[in-house]
Amino acid sequence: MSIRIALAGNPNSGKTTLFNALTGSNQFVGNWPGVTVEKKEGKLKSDRSITITDLPGIYSLSPYTLEEVVARNYLLEERPDVILNIIDGTNLERNLFLTTQLAELGIPVVVAVNMMDVVLKNGDKIDTAKLGKRLGCKVFEISALKGTGIAEAVQGALDAAKTAGNFRPVHSFSAKVEQFLTAVSAKLPEHLPEEQRRFYSIKLFERDEKIMAALKVEEIEEIILAAEKEMDDDAESIITAERYHYIGDILKNCYWKKNRGGLTVSDKIDRVVTNRWLALPIFAAVMFLVYFVSVSTVGTYATDWANDGVFGDGWHLFGIGSAEMAEASEAFEAGTLTEEPDPADFGVWVPGIPVVVGGVLESINCAEWLQGLVVDGVIGGVGAVLGFVPQMLVLFFFLAFLEACGYMARIAFIMDRIFRKFGLSGKSFIPMLIGTGCGVPGIMASRTIENDRDRKMTIMTTTFIPCGAKLPIIALIAGALFGGAAWVAPSAYFVGIAAIIVSGVILKKTRLFAGDPAPFVMELPAYHMPTLSGVLRSMWERGSSFVKKAGTIILLSAIVIWFLSNFGFANGSFGMVEDLSDGLLADIGSAIAVLFAPLGWGNWQSAVAAVTGLVAKENVVATFGQLYGFAEVAEDGAEVWGTLAASFTPVAAYSFLVFNLLCAPCFAAIGAIKREMNSAKWTWFAIGYQTLFAYLISFCVYQIGSAVTGTASFGIGTALAAAAVLGILFMLFRPQKQLKKWKLETAAE
Amino acid sequence: MPLTLAEMGIPQVIKKIGGKDETKRFLEKLGFAAGGEVTVVSEISGNMIVSVKEARIAISKAMASRILV
Repeated sequence: MSIRIALAGNPNSGKTTLFNALTGSNQFVGNWPGVTVEKKEGKLKSDRSITITDLPGIYSLSPYTLEEVVARNYLLEERPDVILNIIDGTNLERNLFLTTQLAELGIPVVVAVNMMDVVLKNGDKIDTAKLGKRLGCKVFEISALKGTGIAEAVQGALDAAKTAGNFRPVHSFSAKVEQFLTAVSAKLPEHLPEEQRRFYSIKLFERDEKIMAALKVEEIEEIILAAEKEMDDDAESIITAERYHYIGDILKNCYWKKNRGGLTVSDKIDRVVTNRWLALPIFAAVMFLVYFVSVSTVGTYATDWANDGVFGDGWHLFGIGSAEMAEASEAFEAGTLTEEPDPADFGVWVPGIPVVVGGVLESINCAEWLQGLVVDGVIGGVGAVLGFVPQMLVLFFFLAFLEACGYMARIAFIMDRIFRKFGLSGKSFIPMLIGTGCGVPGIMASRTIENDRDRKMTIMTTTFIPCGAKLPIIALIAGALFGGAAWVAPSAYFVGIAAIIVSGVILKKTRLFAGDPAPFVMELPAYHMPTLSGVLRSMWERGSSFVKKAGTIILLSAIVIWFLSNFGFANGSFGMVEDLSDGLLADIGSAIAVLFAPLGWGNWQSAVAAVTGLVAKENVVATFGQLYGFAEVAEDGAEVWGTLAASFTPVAAYSFLVFNLLCAPCFAAIGAIKREMNSAKWTWFAIGYQTLFAYLISFCVYQIGSAVTGTASFGIGTALAAAAVLGILFMLFRPQKQLKKWKLETAAE
Repeated sequence: MPLTLAEMGIPQVIKKIGGKDETKRFLEKLGFAAGGEVTVVSEISGNMIVSVKEARIAISKAMASRILV
């Protein structure tokens, strides 16, 4: 016989940890409420015939949040054989609230009090035997993290499953409320099984819309109104109060707390960390540290090694021989050495993958075009992306740490007030912050935002922030057209932030994103020292999904771009071309260049550069280098500055920059968007919006900029641009219609 | 008085949650029930972290002002 066990409990009560322990799977666990948004299924490790379902964390069975709807529908429609209710022993009263509701479903319930080790350490005491008797179900003490007591709890659940159908809720509310509930119960349809009647009478009494629609019971409104009048409160609140009374009664003489009401260590940390004056400085310091270490120091060192070593010429193992090589280079430059030194002659030299693969291909006399494809196309393209992996892993490590220790939840709290002003929640800040390094992990970080609309909006706007790969484009434009002016780079960040704010406000006023924003209520986990294995696991989970993406979508696009740029019609026949300007990509570039003419950069090179930027943004600079006839250019493309300056006006160049900053991100990021949106429609909507937005803004920048600087006269373009600006302003400031509730809330503030 | 005026670190007894909407009921389910204790742990421009029934909950100023203690 196959038995289905459902794991239910409050958010952050340890369900997923228990699920992993029971099924041996590796679901991601975070110290953040809402890690499990969908239900997950697994088989019990010791007995594969037993199915375990991990439900999302919920506070009650009212369909208030998405998680509650998912969990409730499962319990009501699938009716598992037994519910294993995990409760956080350090927060017994609140957790038992859900227990009282679960026990009404008529499905056998077994309670597992988790975090018993912490309870004991705090000096608190729970008499689980007595508690079980009063609740009418077995209660087990467990520690999901340490794995203690879980075998007993599962056995208890299996035993309880056999009593299915005979399980009766035992608790009762005050006589007055029970009287009304009995009256409602009498109106229930005959066919409802005895053990489920309690749940349905209470839900009807609470005016639960879904249950009312399903049962179509009439004449109960009078009963409810009578009760509400008598007790001067709304029906649902009456029941809630009754439950807490009942829990208070149950816990008398079976729960003892040592430090009642005192501030915990976690509270004391919060006193400082979320202090009204210190919160922002502390936050800035933490972020600076994370950013500095992962992007500027350790991360860069690792990335340089990956890019120039593993995916470049090669590297000195453990640095052996680097010093000697440097000396020899100096000697060569000073003229004392006649031959340029080869790093491979010094120390322990490990050649890079392109060198090794290129050598192998050459030795087996592989066709030249295939060598080009493998070395330049595949290894060059995929390598450029994989080169960011070490840097990202460092960043992920810190983020996993911040998340696991509990600080991440506080960041959302600290930033919420600022972000709420333009329609995003405080939880949107983290993805954008990570986006300054790389958009892919940034988009993935949006997963921690529970509210669906907020999450989608965050995914759509995160890549507006200039990521690390866009910096070379900024450097190129600043150097070539603006004499390296210091304002160009900060202005790029400003454009990014402005784009997020403008998009936030505009999108929030569209039908797709309008509606009641979830009120800002968020349970904060207690601070605790994360385990190294937990942090590493979370880092690996995020990192490996990026590597997988590099192996699929980026690999494919690298091959396609390579073929398109290296093959074409030259001298009347189709084949591999010497000059990239004869390649198919150049033809495509010329064809689409006309689209970009209104933006001021209608030459095919720019169009091709923008397209190759889709593979990886740093390609933009490299493409300019190749198309203007330089084999290899420095990161800021200093060699092509002169040529660029001749073919661009400063306004057109800035328009080009703005377009590349805001338009659809690279394929890796698009892949991440697809994954997080989990919908092709939304993915297209996101990149379509980004590209359209980028086009409009660049259009305005060029047309209005040209008119103002006098490089072009006022014309149709200027008029259209002015109309576009007015359109955007209208979208920004048009009155909100359906958001009455929101207005009420902000009015109260 | 509303929770927004409560002194930090002093436990208060909840008298009532204002309003009659979903938000009120959600707050109640999170443990903000009449008769229960609530302590303000920290506050930033009206938004606050409060301790209720052993849990730490961050709420906006608008929500805090509806909790009467």
